[in-house]
Amino acid sequence: MSKETLFKQGAIWAFIVVELIFFSVAGSYLSVSDSAFMDFDNMLLLLKQSAPIGIIALGMTIIMINGNIDLSVGATYALAAIVLLDSMTWPFMQAMGDWAIPLAWFFALLTGTVLGAINGLIVWKTGVDAFIVTLGSMLGYRGLVFMYNGEQPTSHLNWTLVDFAEAQFLGLHTATWFLLVAALILWLVMTKTVHGRNAYAIGNNREAAVNAGIRVGPHFLWNFMLIGFLAALSAVVFYSESGSVNPNDGMLYELWAITAVVLGGTKLSGGYGSIISTLGGVIAIQLLRKGLGHIGADTETVNLVIGLILIAVLFLDRQLNRTGKEELKI
Amino acid sequence: MKMTFTAALVASTAMTGAAMAGSHSETMTIGITQNNVGVDSYQTTYEKAFIEAAEANDMVEAVVLDAGGDVARQIAQMEDLIQQEVDAIIIWPTNGEAVIPAVRKAHSAGISVIVTNSNIAEQGFDFVASFSGPDNITQGSRSAEIMCDKFKDMGIADEARVVQISGQPGYTTAIERAKGFEDRLPEVCPNVTLVETQPGDWNREKSQQVMEAFLVKYDDIDGVYAGDDNMGVGALNAAKAAGREGIIFVGATNFSVGYDAMADGDYWGSIYQSPVDDAEAALKTAIDVLNGEDVPFLNYFDTPKITQDNMDEFTKPVF
Repeated sequence: MSKETLFKQGAIWAFIVVELIFFSVAGSYLSVSDSAFMDFDNMLLLLKQSAPIGIIALGMTIIMINGNIDLSVGATYALAAIVLLDSMTWPFMQAMGDWAIPLAWFFALLTGTVLGAINGLIVWKTGVDAFIVTLGSMLGYRGLVFMYNGEQPTSHLNWTLVDFAEAQFLGLHTATWFLLVAALILWLVMTKTVHGRNAYAIGNNREAAVNAGIRVGPHFLWNFMLIGFLAALSAVVFYSESGSVNPNDGMLYELWAITAVVLGGTKLSGGYGSIISTLGGVIAIQLLRKGLGHIGADTETVNLVIGLILIAVLFLDRQLNRTGKEELKI
Repeated sequence: MKMTFTAALVASTAMTGAAMAGSHSETMTIGITQNNVGVDSYQTTYEKAFIEAAEANDMVEAVVLDAGGDVARQIAQMEDLIQQEVDAIIIWPTNGEAVIPAVRKAHSAGISVIVTNSNIAEQGFDFVASFSGPDNITQGSRSAEIMCDKFKDMGIADEARVVQISGQPGYTTAIERAKGFEDRLPEVCPNVTLVETQPGDWNREKSQQVMEAFLVKYDDIDGVYAGDDNMGVGALNAAKAAGREGIIFVGATNFSVGYDAMADGDYWGSIYQSPVDDAEAALKTAIDVLNGEDVPFLNYFDTPKITQDNMDEFTKPVF
């Protein structure tokens, strides 16, 4: 690993350390709470709360390494959640008792994968930019969500499911396990497999990738199915614990996921990025939210701070890349 | 990255300056997670009033959070408040069912949970110390009284016919406001007939259409009862357009549009629900619960009648 990549990938973790120090120090003066911010349980909670956006952001990293983008994940998330909760109230499912739970999960994950496949197929077969395709499907999928139950929430509270979702295994919450395992698998895919190498190649130079014999269309299709699956997985993890979905749930999740990915250093133009750094980006955002709440700042100011940081990161990224080009000229 | 840190630090320090609260001492810590501050002026005024009430009380340290309408964020805020070991949590649910597991978690951690403004679903009642908010049934029955009193003044209490425009079907608020009115009206004015009820879905345009249909169907309408002033004003517009005069309009919650129509003399009365009272009642309920006082499970704050006669006692609603 070159010095520059090391710096780039380390930056987000350095930022997290600074956040931790800042909120610990500020918290000891400003917080009304007696427990420290760096409390171990609080850090475990941080990971758990990072899961809903985090799982989606992992998929978004791969999509963005491809040079694509997916704006429909928030709507996919809501639709998968509705399928998850509503399917458990279907008569034949109720007859199955708690065995309906894994089946409901399967239905939800299937929904997400199919919605992702629709995006992928359109991008593949029409060649329209993913931004436009998923902008359309974002509106369309959200329309489906509202058609399902109007403005009303869809609910099904199952305490077995809640107990499972609230459980802690080896100290980590269920949601954290899903986040970490998904991150591990995707990290392996991106670093150790042909599919992963192809993803970088396509993002770097699509022409060259086509010339090298990479089948770009099917590759996109797989990745859109993957992010659809992950959006649904995120819904499964979260709604197992809450049992009711508002029709506007998941709105803006696509933007938070993209923000986390960009904070983690993935390039918007594609060809560069890392799963682990995205995990850092997600944690950094959640840490900021948690920290500002801890020291008693207005929670909405978190948006302002993240916005400033995002612009700073992009500016810095551009500066770094510029020097890179100049060095090549010499 | 140096620049980034500076940006974050500058922004955060600037904010914390304003957020500095009192120092640590033997006071009660109350956390609140609100639904969506800024989405409407009711919620904005509520937050302001809550912060003012908490600051005015030396015994209270408040952690004021806003979920921004996002269930996930509200649940995370509940977890954070549990983690911070606050004494009580006030929650304005983003979704009356989705927050139940989080409320249960707070309950098992020994934290008193107070629900404010709109209640959570019945499955969660076991984990809640008290609900503080408006009583929709009372709002409905008081509307019936306002209407009946007016009919008596006009001398038509023996033959008046009214129509009702209710809120969105399925909403507890809509059902309760209709029930309060329908139960109370025959008690105070037994000879007034409720001719027909149709939903207006809390929507002004929809209510206008509903009222247009009523006006065609019935030649004699003396009163209109609407689930809130927004719908009531929609009905008023329909009556104006049709040139029908002398109809008494009463709503179940006063909105600024209703207040203006009352000032113009077109709209008779409504029920005044103040976000300031709502916020202060929530904080008081939490304090009373923590002090071990006997607090009713459904702890309603007062929502007085407002008509053209006494409207100068009230300021114009902010919503």
